[in-house]
Amino acid sequence: MMTLPQPVRVIRPVSWGTVRMVSALGTLARHGDLLRTLTAHRVSVRYKQSLLGPVWALVQPFALMLIFTVVFTRLVRMPSDGVPYGLFAYAGLLPWTFFATATTNGTTSLVSHAQLVTRVYFPREILPITYVIAALVDLAIALSGLVALAMWFKVPVTTHLLFVVPSLLVLSALATAAALLLSAWQVRFRDVGAALPLVLQLGLFASPVLYPLSAVPPRWSTWYVLNPLAGAIDGFRRATVGVAPDVHALAISAVAALLLLPAAYIVFKHTEATVADVV
Amino acid sequence: MPLDVEFDHVSKRYLVAAPGSAAATGAKLLSLRRWRGAPRLPFWALRNVSFAVRRGETLGIVGANGAGKSTILKLLCGITTPTAGEIRLYGRVAALIEIGSGFHPELTGRENVFLSGTLLGMRRREIAAKLDAIVAFAGIDSFLDTPVKWYSSGMYVRLGFAVAAHLDAEILLVDEVLAVGDEAFQARCLARVEELRRRGATIILISHDLAAVERVCERVLLIERGCVALEGEPRQVVRGYRERLIAAAADHQGHDSRFNADALDRPLHV
Repeated sequence: MMTLPQPVRVIRPVSWGTVRMVSALGTLARHGDLLRTLTAHRVSVRYKQSLLGPVWALVQPFALMLIFTVVFTRLVRMPSDGVPYGLFAYAGLLPWTFFATATTNGTTSLVSHAQLVTRVYFPREILPITYVIAALVDLAIALSGLVALAMWFKVPVTTHLLFVVPSLLVLSALATAAALLLSAWQVRFRDVGAALPLVLQLGLFASPVLYPLSAVPPRWSTWYVLNPLAGAIDGFRRATVGVAPDVHALAISAVAALLLLPAAYIVFKHTEATVADVV
Repeated sequence: MPLDVEFDHVSKRYLVAAPGSAAATGAKLLSLRRWRGAPRLPFWALRNVSFAVRRGETLGIVGANGAGKSTILKLLCGITTPTAGEIRLYGRVAALIEIGSGFHPELTGRENVFLSGTLLGMRRREIAAKLDAIVAFAGIDSFLDTPVKWYSSGMYVRLGFAVAAHLDAEILLVDEVLAVGDEAFQARCLARVEELRRRGATIILISHDLAAVERVCERVLLIERGCVALEGEPRQVVRGYRERLIAAAADHQGHDSRFNADALDRPLHV
């Protein structure tokens, strides 16, 4: 009996179908080698022809920590959950810097690769995702500084440390969602890239980076934790400085990440279909 | 004969920015419409185009600039999606294009081969196995570990092309190969296309070189203003295309004289 051959690939107009999204994830998985290669190059290229190289990933949050420590211990007193302020600030600046770097670089990823996007097809989400992973590598390097500080201040190793894992997962998901969404919008509206530094600067003060979540007045806190970064950043810091986690805040962040990441992916894939026409 | 490519009533609409004067742009700055993006006009690059390519067939696509040939190619690669219709592919597609744009200047030739190979959908293992052949094809062996920013433009283009030429695919898209590299390299490219054809690859060749199309292809499509104008045996289609070109040129001259008469009323910009 003859059976009709099945097409290997069918190219159709854009749709919002869930089947399409599932098949998009399959295509992404088949391009795993590209993701790996591109990420490795992203990391290695960044520090070519640079003397300090990867040490920069350590210098940046460290310098910021020193400045904020001087301001918030000598000029004004900032509460820090009973943790030495330098350690406290550094443990908050790490997740924040990761998020800001991943989002900033991810946002311009489609536009800066216009040459490529108009010439070959590959799952476009790979471009923003490589920047998120590269930022994670920087975070890993900067973590060595955190370990050194924790040892210096004799932070005891407790089970609280385990909360680093969910905090980082939630934070990575949020950074990926932001990079996907903003890179897709950036293709049509370059205003996104122009507004982002300002938004991130506001975000630094709207998130518990330089002050503890516990310092937020109770009447604000319901609104405050709607910033999905709050729970994740606070969770990361509490875990690394040996303070019990605020499970409630972390859970809100996790739920936000679970909703935002698929939504951002769907919007991205929808935009992707015509990116090459517009970029 | 089994089919390899089916283009099924495909249309593609681009939204192009409407032409506007500086004054109009100024007015728009204050209007709400600005916030919905620039005003856009629909432009149909393809209208209801259908054709099929059999396995192992070499199909030529000819047509004037802007007729829609490149849009067909972009749709086949998946770079952009159709506005209506469906494209069914029964094999792996490879575009024989110059992929040097995927190169990173700071990376070495070797690193870039892996980068552009994976961009084209190859696995790292596959690229490692073909590395020697790719390097020999491009003729850059002694510069393999030099950053490509120090390559000559010829080396850059040759290496970019060599990676694409070594994709294993059932369906090969060839767009103006003849414009790449020097004569020796062009000959190597054509030989490579010929070799893939002998191995049974389906080839879609888009070219302005009508003599080459007539020589290589088994069937030719003429695309005109986004529609299939002629389809069939290469000699006939090419002859038909030439006749249309001559007719269009005569028509254009008529248009030109009318246009010139109009232009006399306006100030002259040089």
